[in-house]
Amino acid sequence: MAGLESKLPVVPGVKNHVLEACHHVVKALRASDNNLDPNLTKLLSDLESHLSTLEIVDTKVVVVEDTGFSEIKKGFKEAKKVILGWEQNQSMILEAGVSKADLFFQALHDVQRVLTSFKALPIRTNKKEKDVYNQAAVVLDIAMFRLEKELCDVLNQYKQHVQPQYLSVSSRGKDIVYDESFVSLDDVVVEATDDQQILGSNNVVLLDPLVIPHIKAIAKAMFACDYGQAFCEAFITVRRDALDEYMSTTLEMERFSCVDVLGMQWEDLNGEMRKWTKVLKIVTLVYLASEKQLCDKIFGDFEPSSAACFVEISKDTVLSLLAFGEAVSLRSCQPEMLERFLGMYEVSAELLLDVDNLFGDETGSFLRMAFHELAKTLADRTVATFSKFKNAIASDESTRAFSGGGIHHLTRYVMNYLKLLPEYKDALNTLLGNMQVDDSIPEKTGQDILPSTFSPMARHLRSIVTALESTLERKAQLYAEEPLKYIFLMNNCHYMVQKVKTSELRHFFGDEWIRKHIASYQHNVTDYERATWSSVLSLLKDNSKDSVSTSRDRCRLFCLAFDDVYKNQTRWSVPDPELRDDLHISTSVKVVQSYRGFLARNADRIGEKHVRYTCEDIESLLLDLFECLPSPRSLRSSRRRW
Amino acid sequence: MRPAQDNQGSFLGRISIRRNQFTDVNTEQEQEDLELFQKHIADRFTELLTPPPPPQPPSEQIMSVTWLRKLMDVFLCCEAEFKAILLMGRDPTQISKPPFDRLVPEMLDRSIKALDICTAVVNGIDSVRHYQRLAEIAVAALEQRPLGDGNVRRAKRALANLLIALSIEDKENVSSGGGGNKTVERSWSFGRRGGGSSAASKGGATIGRNWSAAKQIHAMTANLTPPRGNEAAGLPLPMFIMSTVTVFVMWVLTAAVPCQERAGLANHLPVPKHLNWAQSLVGIHEKIGDEWKKKEKKGSAGLMEEMTRMEKLGHSLIEFADGFHYPAEKEAAESAAAQVAEMAEICRRMEEELVPLQQQIREVFHRIVRSRAEILEVLEQAGKLSAPVV
Repeated sequence: MAGLESKLPVVPGVKNHVLEACHHVVKALRASDNNLDPNLTKLLSDLESHLSTLEIVDTKVVVVEDTGFSEIKKGFKEAKKVILGWEQNQSMILEAGVSKADLFFQALHDVQRVLTSFKALPIRTNKKEKDVYNQAAVVLDIAMFRLEKELCDVLNQYKQHVQPQYLSVSSRGKDIVYDESFVSLDDVVVEATDDQQILGSNNVVLLDPLVIPHIKAIAKAMFACDYGQAFCEAFITVRRDALDEYMSTTLEMERFSCVDVLGMQWEDLNGEMRKWTKVLKIVTLVYLASEKQLCDKIFGDFEPSSAACFVEISKDTVLSLLAFGEAVSLRSCQPEMLERFLGMYEVSAELLLDVDNLFGDETGSFLRMAFHELAKTLADRTVATFSKFKNAIASDESTRAFSGGGIHHLTRYVMNYLKLLPEYKDALNTLLGNMQVDDSIPEKTGQDILPSTFSPMARHLRSIVTALESTLERKAQLYAEEPLKYIFLMNNCHYMVQKVKTSELRHFFGDEWIRKHIASYQHNVTDYERATWSSVLSLLKDNSKDSVSTSRDRCRLFCLAFDDVYKNQTRWSVPDPELRDDLHISTSVKVVQSYRGFLARNADRIGEKHVRYTCEDIESLLLDLFECLPSPRSLRSSRRRW
Repeated sequence: MRPAQDNQGSFLGRISIRRNQFTDVNTEQEQEDLELFQKHIADRFTELLTPPPPPQPPSEQIMSVTWLRKLMDVFLCCEAEFKAILLMGRDPTQISKPPFDRLVPEMLDRSIKALDICTAVVNGIDSVRHYQRLAEIAVAALEQRPLGDGNVRRAKRALANLLIALSIEDKENVSSGGGGNKTVERSWSFGRRGGGSSAASKGGATIGRNWSAAKQIHAMTANLTPPRGNEAAGLPLPMFIMSTVTVFVMWVLTAAVPCQERAGLANHLPVPKHLNWAQSLVGIHEKIGDEWKKKEKKGSAGLMEEMTRMEKLGHSLIEFADGFHYPAEKEAAESAAAQVAEMAEICRRMEEELVPLQQQIREVFHRIVRSRAEILEVLEQAGKLSAPVV
């Protein structure tokens, strides 16, 4: 070490003059005042002692300078021995312990100083000195190469495997399977949202913290010797491979080309889209955030390299994730993709701020821009899919009446789909804000006070249901029997109201909508009763002038008409038990009362054997209506109990 | 701005005015438009084929980064002009009728394949940037003065890695499986991996399992035949021309930089030899094809001019390094210094142009996506128009 110092450019004469001048000043100060402040006295004596050590060093320098070369050579020999010793030893320097590692770094430091001192004074060097310089450069390169290996070994060996505890992705979420007839989304398959709290802890340990000081020491040494680029390349390679492995092995993310994605079955694609949504979030918020921290820790003193290396490490993976988003956007947007697109859009929009932070500087602008582009593309696709969804509902046509008048699968599909949407309300409100819509509740009426009821999303939801209603109205026209049309409309409207009332949707549709629609299906009930029973009950309208035979005829005709109704309407369906009960009760009240009145007035004239049904018969038979019985039941033979 | 782009602006303007005046399809005006389109294609490729005047540095030569960037511009211009001819002022039902009900989907299918190639090439350019960094290390080491054995040793290591990376054969370039399936063993030295860089060594994984540039190019040309008879005079012709240009540009990109699985592509690319507009294109194709065939035997990461020169310089600098003894002989050192300077210049050019080239390819990607969407939209309109009224 002393030998190296001797090589610093020193001009002894000048230095001595300065020192003498200092001594002089101190002396003069002492002499100037006998009552010196004690602090100042101490300061002066400190200065004097400093000056004297400087003089000692200075004289030493002059002495060593003559013997400098042999000292250098000796120091270098030692350092060389230490470094070359590690050439034979393939194990990690780290594992040899701190003191051994320190020896290595010290040796490296010595070699480096040999080189810098030679560079400082190249003219003075003779042949022998030049040889030492040359050897030192070789030893330095050997040491650097050794450190590069050490870096890779340590990074690989002490890599922490990140477990995907944040992830429970079923790669084939078979939730909404779409086909042209909207049949598949039934009440049962509505998924529970399993979006875990990814945000809970944002950081994972990617590398054993114990080895970080060692890696930092390697970084410091390599950067100091101008091998910073080699350090970065090695670091990037190992960390990028680790990320690759995490993606492919832990997260099992497969890469797909555009051709792959366009040819994929919807079921598979649905699973992949769902998975992508989660993986993008985990990779960005958890893995990459941690990777960035790791880079910052290690490159702390070499700031610009940190950002550049981080970009290089993440680039490939981030671009491949974005490529999937782009590929999916190439598909023609089918209505069934709406929820997946919403999810993908939401997560990409949500992450923009994080991405801007992760890739904040110039080197990351490429990724930043690509991310923003994708978010925009997904936004467009989501809006397009939304419109497509609405159009598909509005233009859904059938050629045959829906048998039984129950709840149409389109109604089920739409309402269950809509129930999934409140989860994406922020995304939807942003996306739909500028889209024109005809809303059934154009202005605040005072009935509803929640702002959500008047949000863009709410307006669009109501307009989707309006589209559904007109489609159902068209389907209702296909029924030959008028009353069944009302039953059908009642069932479907009641279903919508139930779905809205019992879910988040009620905050969007609002009380007024619910009230109106309850009124609407109640109106269907009235219409049904009128259409079915007014003509039947009109048969019972007798007058006192009726002859016996006319009364018997009336009774017979009524029973025949009742049989007809029974035969038909037991096959009809009112799936909701409460609604069915209500319908039974109100029908029963009407029919049985009229019949009882009729019998009371005419029983004597008609004669018991001409009365086929008692009031109790009618009452219990009415309970069979809307039970969706498989085959028509004939009453004429079986129902006579006396 | 480049002159070609100026053309494009005025061309679009003119077309739209004319189309607005009248929309009969087989007018003389359309014929004129088609001829103009062919002429523009011919002019643009002639400009690309013509070597720059002598004082120009090799940086302007065919397959140089600068040239590839020009090629991207040419593609974008052709594409814009083509789209104007195909869509502007046209009755949507026209392109949904035969033979377009076959030709349009085929063309769209090609465009999807082109998208994957764009992605693969953007990845490939990342590998080139890795070569650039290796070369930079070598340059930095060889620029040290006094040049000692240590510097030469360092440079030699970087150069050896560079040469391995540059001469990597396609077969080695491909690994099966998605994500990051590692058939190439990860060695501890960043330069010692088979592919030179992670992106290259798992080239396959970057696009998708079993994806192959060669297969895609083959598939793109499979049903690409010049229109005959009546069709030869109408819209099928520009569709054929544009498809040919697209395939050609993708083929060039695939040749230029490392790209997953491209065996056999050197020979393959049926370009129509007898057509006027295609003359220069054929010329460029032959030049590149010959070079490719030569290189294919040796194995090569790509035909980009800078890479080819880098390889040559790499070999002679390694030779210099092998014979190096400290202190350097003056003569050898001087000639090496000149080569180092040239290598440094290549690195500088790469540093300046590779990222913009990547961005241009991304732009090409987005342009293809947009055009496809526009065409699909028109087809959808046509579907509505031609559907029977319910």
